[in-house]
Amino acid sequence: MNDESAWIFQAQQGSDEAFSQLVETYQKPVYNLCYRMLGEPEAAEDAAQETFLRAYQNLHRYDNARPFGTWILSIAAHYCIDRLRKRRFSVFSMDAEDDDGMAFEIPDPASPDPEAESAKQEDRDRLHLLLKDLDETDRAAVIMRYWYDYSEVEIAQSLNLTVSAVKSRLHRSRRALAEMWQVEKSRAYPERRSRESLAF
Amino acid sequence: MNHLPFENWLLNDISVTPEQQRELELHLRDCSYCSALAETGRMLKTARIVTPVPGFTARFQARLAERKIVDRRRRLWGSVLFTLGGLALLMWIFAPYIVSFFAAPATWISVVVGWLVFLGTTLFALFDAGRVILSVIPNFLPPFAWMVLLSMLAGTGLLWSVSIWRFAQRGVPQGV
Repeated sequence: MNDESAWIFQAQQGSDEAFSQLVETYQKPVYNLCYRMLGEPEAAEDAAQETFLRAYQNLHRYDNARPFGTWILSIAAHYCIDRLRKRRFSVFSMDAEDDDGMAFEIPDPASPDPEAESAKQEDRDRLHLLLKDLDETDRAAVIMRYWYDYSEVEIAQSLNLTVSAVKSRLHRSRRALAEMWQVEKSRAYPERRSRESLAF
Repeated sequence: MNHLPFENWLLNDISVTPEQQRELELHLRDCSYCSALAETGRMLKTARIVTPVPGFTARFQARLAERKIVDRRRRLWGSVLFTLGGLALLMWIFAPYIVSFFAAPATWISVVVGWLVFLGTTLFALFDAGRVILSVIPNFLPPFAWMVLLSMLAGTGLLWSVSIWRFAQRGVPQGV
């Protein structure tokens, strides 16, 4: 029995200390998922805390054959989907925050080309802004796929979907993101586009 | 513009040969859609994990303790309200009887005693009838009927034991 299984077993027997070890281990992935889903540090903190509370209350229903990480992330995803359905968030400030949850990042002047780095960062922020236009379940699938390297089977298990539904949701989301990205880019860099077209 | 097979490679993250890579790069130069697909894919793959503000576990422990107090209080109030509600309901149902009992206790006591006597005599009669039936029936049933009956009982018992054993081994499946 490894540490995690032991903690789960002890937590199921009522040990709060063992459950705290699980919280310590999974706080980052759970918080990150909530943050990517909800887009605000405060909302993400609240959702992550609520996820762990729900896990604590339903620990007796946890199936030991399933990885604990998948189980807890599926609780987080369902909670965020419900929350997004109840009130649709729209403020997204992504990927630029530091470990204290700050939502800004100053380009590193020591990097080879600070301007290029800054442009790359801006591009990434815009991409995350686009994520909010995806359907809640599609967004959860994209986050699980690209932030957690989940397989389609794992995503299907976590979101209670079929594997083919996950595949089609991922493809649809990627296509939608690419299309929105094209529009966004042409809006953001009109002068670059016109220069590019002149070159031909 | 025909995006195949490039769109498929990009969407499914298929690893390509150097020759296919060259073809893909050529296509990306001309196709803004596939180029956007490649770019967004790259960005998604390089996105980093955001961490919570330090002290998350301590905040969780505080929240859990708070929630436990709230739950305990809620359970206590729930049981108090349930008991009081039940008592009120019982009072409402039995109030007319209680009033009439205190108005004429002798009548009520005679009714209750009458019922108890009726119950006792009925039970005695049923026991007598059952004893007579049990002493008569075995003479009517042939021995093979007894064997069939006993086998059926044994089979049912076995099936029940096996079911209990299997549930104990596997557990009852449960979702999240």
